[in-house]
This record gives sequence, C-alpha cells and structure tokens, in this order.
Amino acid sequence: MKDEAITVYKHMKDLPSSRLLGTGTPMCAGCGGLLAVHQAYDILGEKTVFVNAAGCMTLLAVYPYTPFRGSWLYTAMASAPAGAQGVRDALDIQLAKGRIQPEEDLQVVVLTGDGAAYGMGLSSTSSAIEHGLDFIYLCYDNEGYANTGQQSSPATPHGAKTATSTGAQGFGGHKKDLFAIWAAHRPAYVATVIATEPVDLARKIEKAKNLKGPRLIIALSPCPTGWDFDPQETVEIGRLAVKTGMWPLKEYENGRVTHTKVPPQRAPVEEYLERQGRFAHLFKPERNEAVLAEIQAGVDEYWAEVEKIND
Amino acid sequence: MYRIRFHGRGGQGMKTASRILGSAFFLQGYEVQDAPRYGAERRGAPIFAYVRAARQPIQERGIILAPDLVIVADDSLLPMPAAGVLQGVTPRTTLLIHSSEAPETWRQRLNIAGSLLTLSAQAEPHFAGTALTGAAARLVGVIMRSALEQAVRQELAGLGEETLSANLAQALAAYDGMAAHAGQVSEGEASAAVACPRPDWVDLPLDEADAAAAAIHAGATSVEVRTGLWRTLRPVIDYARCKRCWWVCSEFCPDSAIKVSAENYPEIDYEHCKGCLICVAQCPSHAITPIPESSEVKP
Repeated sequence: MKDEAITVYKHMKDLPSSRLLGTGTPMCAGCGGLLAVHQAYDILGEKTVFVNAAGCMTLLAVYPYTPFRGSWLYTAMASAPAGAQGVRDALDIQLAKGRIQPEEDLQVVVLTGDGAAYGMGLSSTSSAIEHGLDFIYLCYDNEGYANTGQQSSPATPHGAKTATSTGAQGFGGHKKDLFAIWAAHRPAYVATVIATEPVDLARKIEKAKNLKGPRLIIALSPCPTGWDFDPQETVEIGRLAVKTGMWPLKEYENGRVTHTKVPPQRAPVEEYLERQGRFAHLFKPERNEAVLAEIQAGVDEYWAEVEKIND
Repeated sequence: MYRIRFHGRGGQGMKTASRILGSAFFLQGYEVQDAPRYGAERRGAPIFAYVRAARQPIQERGIILAPDLVIVADDSLLPMPAAGVLQGVTPRTTLLIHSSEAPETWRQRLNIAGSLLTLSAQAEPHFAGTALTGAAARLVGVIMRSALEQAVRQELAGLGEETLSANLAQALAAYDGMAAHAGQVSEGEASAAVACPRPDWVDLPLDEADAAAAAIHAGATSVEVRTGLWRTLRPVIDYARCKRCWWVCSEFCPDSAIKVSAENYPEIDYEHCKGCLICVAQCPSHAITPIPESSEVKP
C-alpha cells in the first residue's frame, strides 16, 4: 500500500468531499472525537483495520452495526497496542506466505481515548514503540473518562470540574504531556491535531500514513457532554483551544519538534475557559483569579519556551 | 405497588426525576426501586427511567411492563414506536405529558381511553423533569408536600442554591397545580411469580466458529440505525444562499450526515442528522437555519 501517491493538502478544497465513515453511530450529537475520526478515516482510506480500546468509541461498532468499511477489533483498555501487534503480525505472516498480495495489506490503526492513551494503555504503547511496531495510534482526547460520565483522567486540564473533581478548585492535577512522553521514545512520527483545523489534520494523517514504524497522533476532542457546552459550539471551542495556545499543533519527526500552526496573537485563555461549564466555577460566583492566572502562566511559559528554541 | 415510568431524551433529567420521586416515596415510608434504563445513554437519544414503590418488600425486577403512571417529558417521543412510550398502557393507566397542546388533542391523536393529563410546556425546558416529578407526587396522592421538598433538596444538593431553588419552585408549583387530580393514580396489583411466563429454552444450533462468531460481514451497517430520531431542531439549507463553498458544513458534520451532490451542493441526511447544529454555526454564508422538529413544514 506504500505505492499510493502522496496527496498534498493545503486548502479546504483539497479535502475529500465524500465520507467513508457510516452514519448512525451512537456518539453524542456534536461529538468532537467522532469529527476527528471521520476526517482521519477519509484520509486513511478503506484499507484500514481499527483496534479499539474501551472508551466512547467502543460504542461505534455494536453488533451487528459498524460505521467502518473494514475490520474492527475491540480490546481491553490497556491493551490496544498489543492487539495491533497481533493484527500486524498476522498480516505480515499472510504476506510472507503469499496468502495476501501487498496491495491487499492493511494499515493497522489503534483508536483509543485519553483514559487509555495517557493512563492505562501507556505501558503497552511504550512497548509497541520499543518493538518498532508498524502502526498508527490515534487518540481522541476528550480530557476525561467521558463514556462513563467524565471522571478525571491523566489528560484532564488543571482546574476543570469533572465527576471526580467537584470542589471549588476543580481538578488539582495537571494534564500529562503525552506528546513529549511519546516523542521521548523516538518513534517515526508524533503529532497533535484537532478536527477544527481539518487541513492541518489531513496533512498530518497523510504524512503518518506514508511513513513506517510507530506513528502516534493525539486529537483534542471537544466534548459537549463532558465539557458542558452546547453541541453546536464544538468547532468554535476547538478553534479557541488553538487560538489561546492551550492546544499547540505540532509534530515530531527525526528528533525535531515543529509547531505547524503558531497563533500569531494568542487570545487570553479565559476566552476558551468561560465558554465551558466545566470551568464555570472559575468565574462564578466570583472569579478565581489565582487559578485563572496559573492556567494563563502555564500557557505563556510553554510558548516562551517554544520561541526560545526557535530563535 | 405503584409502577411509574418516565420517558424523555438524554439530557432532560429523567434519571434525576425518577430519583427525586423515589426519594419522596422513601421519605413517606415506602420501599422503593428506581433505575434509569441504560442504553445508548446519549444526549438527545430516547431514554426511560422507572420507579416502583410499595408498602411491602418489592420482589419484582426489571423494566415496568404494566405502568400505573407514564410520564413523558418530550412529546415528540409519543409517535415514535421505538421509544415504547405507550407500551403496556391500559385504561387504568394515567398519562402525564409535558406539552403545549391540549389533553383533548393528545387523547384523540393517541386514541387513549384512559386518563390523560398535560403539564403545559415550560418556558425553560430544562425544568421539565422536576416539574413533572412534582406533578407525579400529587397524582399518586400519598406524598406530602414536605416530603417532595426534602427529596428535591436531597437529590439536587450538589447543584448550588440558585439551581436548587429554581427547581424546587417548579416542582412545588406543579404539585400545587395538580390538586384537582390528587390521588388519581392508584396502586396496581402485586404480581406473583407464577403469573410470569416461564423462561423458554433457547436452542442454539452449533455452527462453525467463523459463522457463529459475532462477525459483521458488510461495511457501514450502522446506516440502519436512524439517529435522526434524536433531533429536536432540524437544520434546513436555503439553497438560494448556499455558495457551494468547499463543503464546510459536510467537513464539520461529526456524523457524516451531510453529503455533497454532483453539483457541489450539500444535502442533509435527515434520517441520521442528530441535530447538533454545528452546520448552522459554521456555514460561512449563514444559509442553514434551525427549525423546530415539531413544525409542520417537512423539507
């Protein structure tokens, strides 16, 4: 499948106009994760097999229904990369024995939420990268255990209210830097994406598709149910995550990190936070200046570091 | 034993409503069961919750098949067979519908012989759950106003004083408003285990593993699931204003429910559109507007 020409995605008009992912999934209306999956699937194409760890997307394929054109394998929360290893090995054996032709080969894609990617499945992902497994990891990061009612996960941002952090300060921990953890393994490719920047997403998926070895992608996925905002605002909230600098779009390749979209003038983080019910306690009944300043300082510090390296 | 079923859409607070009613019964000294039905528990999807309350230990389990009271928070669920609102409704069942239409209209439309009441649709629909609970508490006639108040306070304690008092006011107003119908819902007979149909022996033929496994042998079978039923607002494209841009609406539709025609016009698939309205928010030429699903003009 590596003989396909690389498509260049520069403008909206370069993106596919037909959809591979079927309608009728049980995802919530306005799901930012499903948005990323449909965009990625349009680029990956039909010759893809998904290995899905437990999470919201588990409900995509509930027997006898599936939105995918090809195979889907369900694994326990921590073991999707191990499942992908099995599928890849099986394909390699079939290829070696001549039972399938090279053009019938499939791209093996792990699909998990942040609960598996940042937490429970990190160990098996680490092993898969160490073994040089030829696979793509696509994480839809909705910053909590959204399928079970938005309990906090290692991807939950500081100060957010979740089902397990209901106090006045919200979540006390800090979002784990999974990009850095993955990149430290020196895999073939790591990228962050968001469906509200579809051209950037398409370009990165296309790049990953045409590389070999471990390729890992994190898609920040605004979640109307878990983050508490109106479903029609999914795209707007996602854009604000990028504009405020809270979700840096970047990629790692050959030991180098490149930022693919640097917000020219970062909007204050408040513009992103105040639109979401999970941060409402930082604004009402009175503003929690300390936590708001802490979040802003974290973002400013990150981008100051980026500028220092780029200078 | 009282058997009460709540029907609504995910996000309308049916689970909370059943908990409040259950707690109110409990405070009156009843033994209580209350549970939501976990299915595709998603915003907008049809869901139901149920309450059983009795003076004696409750041996019944599972969903309620012979309800004494059926409560409907969203009247667009009534004509939908899949929602099962009218399942097991007999002339002795009372129906309580949250609707801006008159009871007489619904009685004729549904051809219902039994009692049918409406609670007029509130200006703020997110209070429907608590208002209906207040009305239900009066309809059964055995719940004191103070028990209802205590139950609301107990169940909504985590939501802050402002939200709590607004909900409480709605519940108590509905309780007072149902005074004329107090005690109209009566307890159904306790059912004995012997009355239940005996479980059938199911023979599963022994097939080869590749035929017997839960494998799906076709692609994109999910199109059989009509998620268009979740919608309460319908996005409608004004083709006179559509600029045939690079399919922004289709690209940003999470559900693949906007196709692009050969002439580059977007077409909304209403069988599957869940009504998230991202297309309305993102259309560069503002050519898509939402209209209530209940309006008569179908596209």
